[in-house]
This record gives sequence, structure tokens and C-alpha cells, in this order.
Amino acid sequence: MSAGDVLAILRGAVVTVTLSLTGILIGLPIGLGLAVLRWADVPVVARIVAVYVSILRATPLVTLLLLLFFALPNIGIAIGPISAAILALVMNTAAFNCEVWRASLMNFPKDQYEAAQSVGMSAPLRFRRIVLPQIARTSLPGLVNEMSLLIKVTPVLAVVGVVDITRAAVRIGAETYDPLPPFLVAVALYAPIVFALVSLQRWIERRQIMAEAAA
Amino acid sequence: MIHDFGIVWSERDLLLTGLGNTTILSVLSAAAALLIGFVLTPALMSKQRWLAGGVRGFVDGMRCVPFLLFAYIVYYGLPSLGIRLDNWTSGLLALTIYNAAYMAEILRGAWTAQPREPIEAGVAFGFSNIALFRRIVLPPLLLAAGPVIGNQIIQIIKDSAFLTIIALPELTHAASSIQSRHYVPFAAFITAVFLYWGLCLVIEAGVSSIDRLAAARR
Amino acid sequence: MAEAGRVLDVAGVSKRFGALEVLTDISFQVEKGETVCVLGPSGSGKSTLLRCINWLERPDAGQIYLNGSQIGVNGAGLVMSDRELSRIRTRIGMVFQHFALWPHLTVLQNLMEAPVQVQKRPKAEVRDEALALLAKVGLSDKRDSFPAKLSGGQKQRVGIARALAMRPDLLLFDEPTSALDPELVGEVLVVMRELAHEGMTMVVVTHEMGFARDAATRILFLDRGRVVETAMPERFFSSPETERARQFIQRYAGHAANGGR
Repeated sequence: MSAGDVLAILRGAVVTVTLSLTGILIGLPIGLGLAVLRWADVPVVARIVAVYVSILRATPLVTLLLLLFFALPNIGIAIGPISAAILALVMNTAAFNCEVWRASLMNFPKDQYEAAQSVGMSAPLRFRRIVLPQIARTSLPGLVNEMSLLIKVTPVLAVVGVVDITRAAVRIGAETYDPLPPFLVAVALYAPIVFALVSLQRWIERRQIMAEAAA
Repeated sequence: MIHDFGIVWSERDLLLTGLGNTTILSVLSAAAALLIGFVLTPALMSKQRWLAGGVRGFVDGMRCVPFLLFAYIVYYGLPSLGIRLDNWTSGLLALTIYNAAYMAEILRGAWTAQPREPIEAGVAFGFSNIALFRRIVLPPLLLAAGPVIGNQIIQIIKDSAFLTIIALPELTHAASSIQSRHYVPFAAFITAVFLYWGLCLVIEAGVSSIDRLAAARR
Repeated sequence: MAEAGRVLDVAGVSKRFGALEVLTDISFQVEKGETVCVLGPSGSGKSTLLRCINWLERPDAGQIYLNGSQIGVNGAGLVMSDRELSRIRTRIGMVFQHFALWPHLTVLQNLMEAPVQVQKRPKAEVRDEALALLAKVGLSDKRDSFPAKLSGGQKQRVGIARALAMRPDLLLFDEPTSALDPELVGEVLVVMRELAHEGMTMVVVTHEMGFARDAATRILFLDRGRVVETAMPERFFSSPETERARQFIQRYAGHAANGGR
């Protein structure tokens, strides 16, 4: 493996990180939106969201990605590999995030909400200033966990030709007939990122436990 | 569109074979992963530092590596070391080893949450070794860990789809094959999605029954 | 060492946890039908002593004999295998502070589990006996309930019935009422008093002075790992010999022990 090969894998890492971040940043608010729709029990929509989440959580990402990449052009929507990749990641992570947000919403102490109502806060204000800050805190470990899971499924993007860490490694392995070294480099790139996120999650959880104990 | 689904229907044998392979793959590796997990968990909690450290390294390592990459390594990488496996063996091996790490962690968590006294009572009443494990330790452990193990099985089913990249004839591979030959991508993959959904609903139903048993005893 | 009627013989038992010596040179005997109450301040080693008797804790020194057979060390002088230990343990019943009922089994199944699985007794016979024991402790109607649905007092009565189902030669009680709400203590003590009255050989670690005074045939007073005093309850409570015992009784019984201060 030459230095140029390592560079190619590093370039793939940029793609991995960029697409992951995009997926995470878009997926977070959408997940929140879905959770609120279910929590507020908006008629019809809440049921649709429930079914959507159930299906998305059961669908392998690779199947979803292939579906989007091949089926959308078929019905007239032109989509390239990167867009299909982002769309698949967002649809997937939004569904999982929805469940994390929803758990926080369901565990939100009702009396705080009623206190806000009784001082005349409007619904959007109630949500923005009372509910959101607190569910953001309780959802944090679950959301960070979901982020680490998202990074671990990004190799699937290689299947539609996106040159991320995995595809770069596979390509080099095919060219040099020596697949193991580039794979190990790939592992060496993924592992620290995932490990950092997992450690972050554990740190957040520890801090929250301590904060609760002190309260 | 109806026409497309008609084509998928005509290829239902392939799809059902794919579904069958996904199911077999998932069930076998889940069972094997759980069994290996039962061996790893005591090692994880062992007082021998080298043993606990080694297993901890394995478990944390598997949780930091993407499964697809791991599958690639097992199928394409091992031949460099002289180990050549076919795609079925690689797939099964990769799924099993990868998820054994997760099962070990799940079982460890469930074990530490178990109260000690009933097990001690088992010892005091003369239970030892296998009987103690089978009749006193295991049932409450499985009742407690049921939902989490169920989730992991769903994860295994989804991970199995990645094995399409090593040409394993599981469900996603079958759907891909149908779409590439007949150009019916939506119908083929949506059908696959619903079949995966169905599998997961079966697992979730199983988890609900275990949870009902657990709830009666809580 | 096998004296007729002597159920338990504890000789020179010591136990340390790390640097801490928890039991030092404990010796006492229990005859058949006796109810020995082990009293003492917290940290005196009472529970550890009890757990050494059935080798849940392994003594560092000393010997323990049940009906003449040594516990923990076999005929060849080697430490007993789990199998050999298991056989001896089936003859010693134990009642735990936190009940330790098996949560996945119903009350009746809890009673039947060890006699059937460990003692290999026929199921029908075990079942009849179990039902009789449940009636004895007043819980016949709870036989198909799961332990989680019972009150503390009910759980402990099941615990006692479960131990009795093994037809033990000796019953050990490890602070059986300490984890109970005060109003539930009585129902358990009633059962224990009846057992003592019926001639069950019992060793009871407890803080219940009333029970010790009424039901015990002998008091064993432990302090910091040693047997400080041993006497019949009447004499122990009215005129304790040692200062430590006196202080203990004062603190717990709330009245000055006469003949001493």
C-alpha cells in the first residue's frame, strides 16, 4: 500500500464524515418533528408516522438505499448516488431519532407542562422554552448512540458507488490484490470516530446521573 | 405499476428463497451469537485481568467497527492469511462473531442487574452447577433480557442484508436480482421492505410474549 | 464427634475478609430441638457465622459438624466438591433477610423446586407436603401467585415454608424480620415461635429481643467476632455477665439490666 493509497482512503474519510454529519444534522430535527406529531396525537398523521417509523426501523439500510437509488429514477425523479445516500441516511436515522425523542416526551413531567399552561404560555412558546430544553437533555445519550450507529452503516453507501472509506479501501484492495492492509486502515479510521462518540455518550450519561443525584 | 408487481409475483420463488435464507442466516447466527455470548460474559466479568481485558477489547472492538467492513474483511481479507471461506460461511461467521460481542454486553448488563440473593438461596438449597444455572439463574435472566435480545435479533436481520455485497442469496440480493433483470426496482424493493417488516413484527410478537411472562412476575 | 442428639457442632471457626478478622475462634453446640438465638451489635459477625455453617462462606479455620458429619471437608480431608456440599446443604434449611424467593416461579413452585430437583423426591409427594406447609403458614390461597405480588411478611412465610419443604435437620434464620415493615413482623414471628415450640432445631440471627426472650432455649451473644457470652435467655436478659452484653441489652431493650450497674 502506497502513500497515495492511504490518501485515497483519507479522502474517502472526508466523504464519510461529511455525509454522516449531513445525515445527522438533517435527521435530528426531522426525528423531533415526527416525535412531536405522534406525541400530540394529530389525527391520521400520528398513525402514519407510527407506521413509517415501524417500517423504517425494520428495513435494512442497504435495501432502502437500493430502493431509492433505483426506484426514484424509475418514477421520474432523477437522483444521483450522493443524494440517494443522504436521503436514505436521513429517512433511516429520523425514524430511530423519533423513538428517542418520543421516549423523552412521554417521560416529560406533566405538571411542568401544566404549570406553563397556567401562566398563559402559548403552545409554541411552551414547547420552545419549557419542553425542548429538557427533552434535549434527556434525549442526548440516545441521540449520540444513534449517531454512532449511523456512522457504522455508512459503508453501505459504497454499494451505490459513493467513494467513502469502505469503497476506497475495497478499490485499493482490488487494484493491489492485497485487500487486508487497506481494510485495516479503514478500521483504523472508523474505530476512533465511533469510539469517540461512544465515550461521549457514556460521559454524558455519567454527568446526567451525577446531576440528578445532586438535585 | 400493477404490471411490475405481477412480475415480482412471478419471481416469488426467488424472493421466498431469499427470505428463507435471510431467516436461516439470522436465526442461526443469533443462536450461535447468544451461546458464544454466554461463554464470553463470565470471561468479561472474570477476576483474571488478562481474560477480562482480552474479551473487553474484543467486545469494544466489534462495537467500533462497521459490520459491512467486518464482513468484507472476513470474506476478502482472510484469504490473504490463507483462510479461504465461501460466502455462506463468511457471512454466517461474520454475523455470528460480530453479534456475539453485542450479546455478551447485553448479557453482562442483564446479569449485573439481577439480585444476588435468590441465586445464593439456590446454592443454600443444594443447587449446583448446571442445575443452578438452568433452573435458578437462567430463567429470570432471559425474562429480563428478552426485549434487548429481541432488538439485537432485529439488528441481525438487518445486518444480514449487508451480505448481499458478498453475493449471498438473501432477500435483498433476490430483490436486486429481480430488479436488474426486469427493471422493476420499486416493486421489487418495496416487496423486500415489507417482507423485512413482517420478519421484524414476528420477532416483536415473540418479545411481547416474553415480556408478558416477565410482567406477571414483576 | 457424633454425640446422640447433637445436631450442630461448631469448633474454633474463624473467618477473615482481607485484613479484617470477622470471626475469631467461634465454638458452640446445638442439641436437637434447641432454638439458639444469636444476638449482637452490627458488625459482630452474626450473619457471617450463619453463612459459614452451610459453607456459603468458607471458614478459614475450625470445623463444623452436622449430626456428626463434617461440613466442607470430606472423609479424605479434602475440601468437599460442590456435589458433596450440595448433599449436606439439603439437610440445612435457610431463611434469608430479603426472602430470596425465586421470582420466575409461583409460591407453590418455589416450595417444590429444590425437593424435586435436588433431593429428587417424587413430585406428587412433594406437592402434598408443600400444600400442607402452605396451609401451616397460612398462605394456601397464594400458592399460584408470583412472589412479586406478595407482601414482605407473606414472602418470608413462604421462605420459611420453602426451607421446611426440604425436611431439614437444622433451620438457619438470617435476620428474618429485619427487612420487614414493623406491622408485618408479627406474622413471621408467630410462625417461628410455633416451629420452635414444635421442636425444630433452629439457629436464629435476629434483633427481635422479644422473640429471643420468649422462644430461645439459649442466647449466643457475639461481639466483634467472638462469643462473648452464652446463657439461657432468662439469665441473659436479667443478669448478663459481661459489660458488653449489658450495654447491648440496655441499648436494644431500653431498660437497665439489673444486678450490675
